Amino acid sequence: MKTSHIVLIAIVAVIVFLGGCTASTYNNLVSQDEAVGRAWADVQAQYQRRSDLIPNLVNTVKGYASHERETLEAVTNARTRATQITVDPENLTPEKLAEYQQAQGEVSQALGRLLAITENYPDLKASEQFSELQAQLEGTENRIAESRRLFNEATQTYNVNVRRFPNNIFAGMFGFSTKAAFQAETGAEKAPEVSF
Amino acid sequence: MRYIFFFYMSVMSALLLDAATYTPDNLPIPYLQDRTQYVSNPDGILSQEAVDSLNKWMGLMESTHGVQTVLAVVEYVEGGDVYEFCMALGRKYGIGDKEKNTGLIILLSTGDRAYYILTGRGLEGTLPDAICKRIENTQMLPSLREGDWDEAMLNTVRAITMYVDGDDSLVGKSDFDQEDKWVLIVFCAFMLLGIGLVAFGLWYDSYQKSLCPSCHKHSMKKISAYTDTKKKLGIRTHHDTYKCSNCQFTKLRTWDEAIAAAGGSGFWSGGGSGGFHSSGSFGGSFGGGSFGGGGAGGRF
Repeated sequence: MKTSHIVLIAIVAVIVFLGGCTASTYNNLVSQDEAVGRAWADVQAQYQRRSDLIPNLVNTVKGYASHERETLEAVTNARTRATQITVDPENLTPEKLAEYQQAQGEVSQALGRLLAITENYPDLKASEQFSELQAQLEGTENRIAESRRLFNEATQTYNVNVRRFPNNIFAGMFGFSTKAAFQAETGAEKAPEVSF
Repeated sequence: MRYIFFFYMSVMSALLLDAATYTPDNLPIPYLQDRTQYVSNPDGILSQEAVDSLNKWMGLMESTHGVQTVLAVVEYVEGGDVYEFCMALGRKYGIGDKEKNTGLIILLSTGDRAYYILTGRGLEGTLPDAICKRIENTQMLPSLREGDWDEAMLNTVRAITMYVDGDDSLVGKSDFDQEDKWVLIVFCAFMLLGIGLVAFGLWYDSYQKSLCPSCHKHSMKKISAYTDTKKKLGIRTHHDTYKCSNCQFTKLRTWDEAIAAAGGSGFWSGGGSGGFHSSGSFGGSFGGGSFGGGGAGGRF
């Protein structure tokens, strides 16, 4: 009689303990998942910011260098393609992220070429408007880099938690899977070098 | 032979770099020791008068608008990347308010011939990148080209102050934030309660004393009083005469008051030289603000 009581109490204690562990693991994963989502939203917002700057930049350059149509159109087209790709934080798969990064990388390359040709137009370079636009673009590239860094940090924290034992058991149960992070630059996404 | 040359070169450059190359970790931040010092001028590039003016303006900016600034003028920064330097500095110290993120870093590296104005996340609306660039182009660059570092920094901070002053949404940190306010209110309530109790006690005491033992009316008044002091015992005896204005009943009340005994009269003398130092400087602390990469920079 007495032994069975002890066994029963022990079983209840173990269940309560496991339940507590599960709940805290779950809550941790939820908040880290949210943090990744927020960081991703910021990344997209910063890319959007760059996207919003492009028409203004293109028009300004056009005013001084109208015959550089090809370069200007390349920027506009790359921008159009990139804005069509948005990734929901819920399905941040490596493929989706690579696709996004690829599209935005093309915008960066086109912008880099555009800024390179502006070197040939001293009037454009001297204009106050262009100088300020360039500063905005540079600031936005910096913001993109910073938001990507923070996103990768949040993702890493989340991924480590998902994969670590015994969290991986609960994570599997509740459907938390690892998320993709940005890959290191291959040169394509480097901020356009702006010289003064 | 070539190796020796390279070795020599690297030693020389190490020595040269050691002289005035800063990393975010070894840049002195005087603000931490004295919260009126916003300028870090370790190489003495700026004149003392300029530093004083800059400190005054930036102090005003913090007190009235909550904008916490660090202005650094150095010879070289490690790697020559002023933007990365500013970001690392911001990350390390968390300059600016944590909630409002109103930190500001202004860096001039005279040897790298580069400058940067880095705005905290909360300042990006007040000082957009384009405005930072405009300030640099119009206020900073002309003086930098002439090598007038003082003028460049003074003009820059003056211009920034104007933009910050123009933004009504930027308000200085009040001395008490919400939590402190409640502490203050409760403290005041207890103070008032204490004062009230003492006042009531005094009133009740005199009310009791005014009770006439003969006609039971509160019409007794003190008409005369004298004291005699027994210094050796440390007692002063009060003899107060009360008279009832209603029934003319008189009563003498005597009570003793403890005073310092004769031998102890010298007890207090000699003391009183306190340990207070006037006009001490208080170290400042950074609020934990974050930087998202806003601002603008350039080279000259």
